[in-house]
Amino acid sequence: MGNAPYLFAAFGVTWVIIFFYILSISRRQKTLESQINKIRDALERNKETGKRDE
Amino acid sequence: MTLKGKSATIRTLELATCVVMLAALYAIFIYAPIEKTMGLVQKIFYIHVPSAFLAFFAFFITFVGSILYLYKRENKWDIMAFCSAEIGVIFCSIVLITGPIWAKPIWNVWWTWDPRLTTTLILWFIYAAYLILRGAAGENRRSNFSAVFGIIGFVNVPITFLAVRLWRTIHPVIITPKGINISDPMKLTLILTLMAFCLLFFTLLVSRIRLEKMRLDGEEIRALSEDEKTERNN
Repeated sequence: MGNAPYLFAAFGVTWVIIFFYILSISRRQKTLESQINKIRDALERNKETGKRDE
Repeated sequence: MTLKGKSATIRTLELATCVVMLAALYAIFIYAPIEKTMGLVQKIFYIHVPSAFLAFFAFFITFVGSILYLYKRENKWDIMAFCSAEIGVIFCSIVLITGPIWAKPIWNVWWTWDPRLTTTLILWFIYAAYLILRGAAGENRRSNFSAVFGIIGFVNVPITFLAVRLWRTIHPVIITPKGINISDPMKLTLILTLMAFCLLFFTLLVSRIRLEKMRLDGEEIRALSEDEKTERNN
């Protein structure tokens, strides 16, 4: 049982790395989704304004 | 495939990964016997070996994706190669961290310049360089440059795998031409962990590819809106 801390350190580090990678993917995804939605809204608003002007 | 369809695929993969991963953790900590000489620290093997296998597999996907990109000139292969390389570096980092954590109580040193350890470190540097250089390369040359790098870089994968056979090494050899040199419960635990890590790998790969495609879509929409603005101003 003397080397149990090494075992938990190895598992801990592995899960921390995987957790932060998943977190970074989900954060980047949320940022991109909101950016794309903003641009889409702006484009649709521009189209509607253009139609009204015509 | 629609965005909704892709989300369903990712959700199914996530669920399967969670279930198999829990079963694998049960097998590692409860089912698998404690090795007589090394004790509990031997259980690091159950994350170290699957991580190494998946790092090699990820770099193989990068290699295949790079060849297909150069041959067919389709962006999807370039995206697949890049995303796989990124995940491969993550798994290779896990290998390089868990290895020394196992080595300290067993070999009494954190690191030694053993052929297997050295070639794995070189492998990590090659693909870390791939990611850094891809980020630094210009938009028009990025894909070609990455594809060539992804093909040449793969040369080190078989060298790393065969290092324990080509040179004298102190690294344990578990997989031999005769089979896997461990007891049956350990073998079963390793297979289960390998399955869990494979599912994790595919979940990460599908999510990362989706993110990359979304980034490219975003760039395209942004370019379109810029064009529209310029047209209006003219």
